[in-house]
Amino acid sequence: MKSSPHGGEPFFFPGGRVGCLLIHGFTASPQEMRLLGEHLAGQGHAVLGIRLFAHATHLEDMVRARWRDWLASAEDGFHLLRDVSQRIVAMGLSQGGALALILAARFPVLGVVAMATPFDLPPDPRLRLLRPILRPLSLALKSIAKGPPTWVDPQAAVGRVAYTAYPVRAVPEVEGLLAAMRQILPEVRVPALLMHSRGDTLVPPGDMERIHDRLGTAEKTMQWVEHSSHGITLDADRETVFAAAADFVRRVAGGRS
Amino acid sequence: MNILLPGGEPFLFPGSQVGCLLVHGLTGTPQEMRWMGEYLAVHGYTALGVRLFGHATRPEDLNRARWRDWLASVEDGYHLLRGACSHIVLMGLSLGGALSMVFATQFPVAGVVAMSTPIETPDPRARLLRPIFPLLYLVWRYIPKEKTSGGQDAQATEEHLQYPVYPTRGIAELHDLLAELRRALIKLHVPVLLIHDRGDDSVPASHAQVLYDRLGTSDKEILWLENGGHNIPRGIEREKAFEAAAAFVSRVTGSPA
Repeated sequence: MKSSPHGGEPFFFPGGRVGCLLIHGFTASPQEMRLLGEHLAGQGHAVLGIRLFAHATHLEDMVRARWRDWLASAEDGFHLLRDVSQRIVAMGLSQGGALALILAARFPVLGVVAMATPFDLPPDPRLRLLRPILRPLSLALKSIAKGPPTWVDPQAAVGRVAYTAYPVRAVPEVEGLLAAMRQILPEVRVPALLMHSRGDTLVPPGDMERIHDRLGTAEKTMQWVEHSSHGITLDADRETVFAAAADFVRRVAGGRS
Repeated sequence: MNILLPGGEPFLFPGSQVGCLLVHGLTGTPQEMRWMGEYLAVHGYTALGVRLFGHATRPEDLNRARWRDWLASVEDGYHLLRGACSHIVLMGLSLGGALSMVFATQFPVAGVVAMSTPIETPDPRARLLRPIFPLLYLVWRYIPKEKTSGGQDAQATEEHLQYPVYPTRGIAELHDLLAELRRALIKLHVPVLLIHDRGDDSVPASHAQVLYDRLGTSDKEILWLENGGHNIPRGIEREKAFEAAAAFVSRVTGSPA
């Protein structure tokens, strides 16, 4: 993997009639979706990778973010892409997957790909204790440092553009977003591809099954990868992920693009 | 659960390698710039109308916005447009014009069209109150809007999508952004076209003259309208403005209109 000269900026690759909307995860940036985007563009598709509000700027910006802002960013991306591509597949990593699933329930898309997507906040014991008081707590404790990286492929860390800490005030917002996602899952009636790594130590692999069970569509599949950490669009199984996503687009576009 | 106001979505009209990045005004939406975008697209250019953070959703959201969020929204649009275009001209209305000029001192652009753009907060009370703003904000969240007169296309006015009030924090942020604009003007060295209505009762015509005088570039021009109103891209004289903007793009990018 070449080291990226890019920062955290959003990207647009013009292409054919199917448009792929790519949504990154919590505290990350469009950078983590760029390789996937390049792969899909190589298949001839139009690709738009959005930047979620308050991401890829300054960690302090996150204290002002509400999950509705992230949904608005996703809606922005949908409308921009729809102007150039009549048919859209929404794809997201982690919290981005939750946003893609919400879009899929509310907007006309061909299908949705949700990667390493949480069903609820991670079962971290500290979180279980502090969950009810995160908002007032955030006045005193602004952020919590992330643990050491868990990449299986060390190349995955090259060019990484992401905050190095979790903003505490934003955690209840993630919680709110996931609650909204759980509520609309039965209303997703387009084909859905879920992907998750058995080696994901941040979001339990069981979350993919819980999402799968609640999805309204009958056309839903789960794809496991074996060797990656949580960031499956960058880690060891990325090529498998790219191929599966491209395959899904081909399938839902009816074999033509 | 849709977050964006219907009609207030961002837009992307595909065209040539020459792109126009369109930026709306305070409390407005991309709809303000849509007719201009359509005109430019008909003339062969790519046109992208951004949605500034906190806009086209609900007024409370705007009270959480800081002007750097608006600059980030412009920057997002710029990076997306760069995916399809090698030359970019920024065009903005009022606050959008100010953001465009500030942005043009930070990123390579071919030129700027700034319409109805203030050089300082038009309302003198806002300037006076800015120092005690944090106190004021505790009791005063929204300022009611007054009806503007003149230059209005009646139907365009009726259908103009905007917040019914000025969120107070938004005014404070405009104030601070304009201070940044005043610092940036001398550093702006790309061609600039200012468009202003002599009868603008929101931002007096004198602002355009001061902007002109302080701009660093020698390639600058003011197009005066007589009955364009403040909202020039939806006013009675919009065709004149659109023509001038298209001619400007053609000249500064060396592309036929």
